[in-house]
Amino acid sequence: MSTIRERSPAAYLLALPAALWMTAAVVVPSMLILWVSFWGGRRFTWENHLVLDNYARFFRNETYVGLIGETALQAAKIMAITGVLGYCIAYFLAVMVTRNSVRLTLFLILVIPFWTSAVIRSIAWIPFLGVNGVINQALMFLGLTDAPVEIFLYSRTGISMAQVSLYTLLAAGPVVYMLRNVPNQLREAAMCLKAPPIVVFWRIVFPLTLPGVIIGQVLVFLNVMADFATVAAIGGNKQALLGNLVLLFYDSGQLRYAAVVGVMLMLSMLVGVVVALRVVDIRRLGE
Amino acid sequence: MNGTEAAAAPLDLEIRSIRKLYGDFVAVNDVSLSVSRGQFVCLLGPSGCGKTTTLRSVAGLEAIDSGDILIAGKSVADLPPWRRDISMMFQDFALFPHMTIARQVGFGLEMLKWPKARIGPRVQEVLQSFEIAHLAERKPATLSGGQRQRVALARALITSPRILLLDEPIGSLDYSLRETVMLELKQVQRQLGISFIWVTHDQNEAFSLGDRVVVMNHARIEQQGTPDEILSRPRTPFVAGFIQGNNVFEGTVEGVQGSTLTLNTKSGPVHASLDGMPAPAVGQRATVSVRAEHLKFGPTAAENQLAGTCEAIEFFGSLRRYVLRLPSGQQLKIDQFGAEPARTTVGATTELSWRVGDTVLHTQPGGPA
Repeated sequence: MSTIRERSPAAYLLALPAALWMTAAVVVPSMLILWVSFWGGRRFTWENHLVLDNYARFFRNETYVGLIGETALQAAKIMAITGVLGYCIAYFLAVMVTRNSVRLTLFLILVIPFWTSAVIRSIAWIPFLGVNGVINQALMFLGLTDAPVEIFLYSRTGISMAQVSLYTLLAAGPVVYMLRNVPNQLREAAMCLKAPPIVVFWRIVFPLTLPGVIIGQVLVFLNVMADFATVAAIGGNKQALLGNLVLLFYDSGQLRYAAVVGVMLMLSMLVGVVVALRVVDIRRLGE
Repeated sequence: MNGTEAAAAPLDLEIRSIRKLYGDFVAVNDVSLSVSRGQFVCLLGPSGCGKTTTLRSVAGLEAIDSGDILIAGKSVADLPPWRRDISMMFQDFALFPHMTIARQVGFGLEMLKWPKARIGPRVQEVLQSFEIAHLAERKPATLSGGQRQRVALARALITSPRILLLDEPIGSLDYSLRETVMLELKQVQRQLGISFIWVTHDQNEAFSLGDRVVVMNHARIEQQGTPDEILSRPRTPFVAGFIQGNNVFEGTVEGVQGSTLTLNTKSGPVHASLDGMPAPAVGQRATVSVRAEHLKFGPTAAENQLAGTCEAIEFFGSLRRYVLRLPSGQQLKIDQFGAEPARTTVGATTELSWRVGDTVLHTQPGGPA
């Protein structure tokens, strides 16, 4: 039991360090990006007046606008695949594995790769996907293809394969937690009310773990939207999503356009999170 | 029960010497039980005695290792829970947290593939009869313990199962609420004529509700019978010790005269009635018991006489209980109606006596049943 009441001076004092940090690390930089995205004039100076020209020019370019749609589509695709895959893995870990030692071992095997950086893990996919890569060699060894399949590397398919492997655990983690919290008695009560296992799952277990699914989906969505490293490493210079566009503008010194794309990314992420929060109230999960 | 009777009215439930193991641990050992139409049966025993496992085996939530379970005359041992004509009420009610009360009370009917148009009115009807119609659109988290209990009962009974299994169904309620709920449940059971199998460790519950009480210990049934039979004639030392208000004597058999057995105990000779039981051999260890309300103060014509010092006087509802210490060190309990004048005071030595007919001989563990 906490003895610190809500909205008391002590509560605000305790929230202060985190608030300061978030302001410095998140709020101020975001405001700066927003500000730069409205800069007019030709020079890079604080005295620039604010205009809508940058946005107007961005939206006049069909390639750029199309990229927003493609990025959203890519995110939706990865969310769907990791959602189903992640739930299956979570169900296996939380429900099917009954021995704690086995569960811990499997969990560590899944988690340890996450100790390396996302960029390294993206690059690690190249030897798998290439024309002489592991996957092609395996396919040819099994006699499934005669010639190497070229669509793996430098393609959207390859990017998707890498992203699914990178982000499935983000979708699975919260579901494992939620599944472990569904009391077995609820399953039993439903069975005693004549519900066969499939119905027990769809009517009892799945609705109760839905918040975990949504949280996982938000995590995957945010990561795919922000992912430029995998796209750059696996897609080469043939593929680009919104994140890569930021990099492209930044490298060529077009800071204002980089800021515009940054704002677009932030906006779409914000919309995604708001939609998710409408489905499930994350703040009430602890109750 | 003979064969023709069984054919005329099949038993609601018949358990035929079931056995359940968890690894090396025997959870249920050779348990047999018959429940005829509309009976209220209480499984009573300390925790870990196998009563809940027995109940869960009937529900199909535990797979039995041997024996058979018949519901309404048909073996269900190989059927999953959702194919058995039972309902179950769980200790903390197991309400579905994401469903409104109306939705979860109707869940069983949905599973029976009732058309939606008929489920709604039927749920309303049941909610009304349990006086919880005003809660229909609420979620379980906002309900009190007593309200949850009613919802759980409505949800379990709406499908009119053949048997309702109840696992400590009022154990999580406030003490003050239990008596009311017990009366209500008993009334519901009478009205519907559905068999109730009620698991509890509380003997007050078992004796006030059960048409039949089954006392279990160490995975076995120790004794089953009407509350009166178990209260007045406990058949094993465990039952006598577990049921409140019994004084148990242990000793060696000194002799048998007619239907009277004399036991040599550390507190002196105690005479007990054989009551149709086979007489144990002279020199054998045996236990007998006598209920606290059968002990009388002062010397009477009764055959059993002892004297002891009063150590404490306690009140149990309308009863006054004296705790006496015998010279042998054994404690005895004597119950008297609280309305009667007190017969002794703490610290005083008093004589007491009781009749042979009130002294019950037990079947000894490992001896003939």
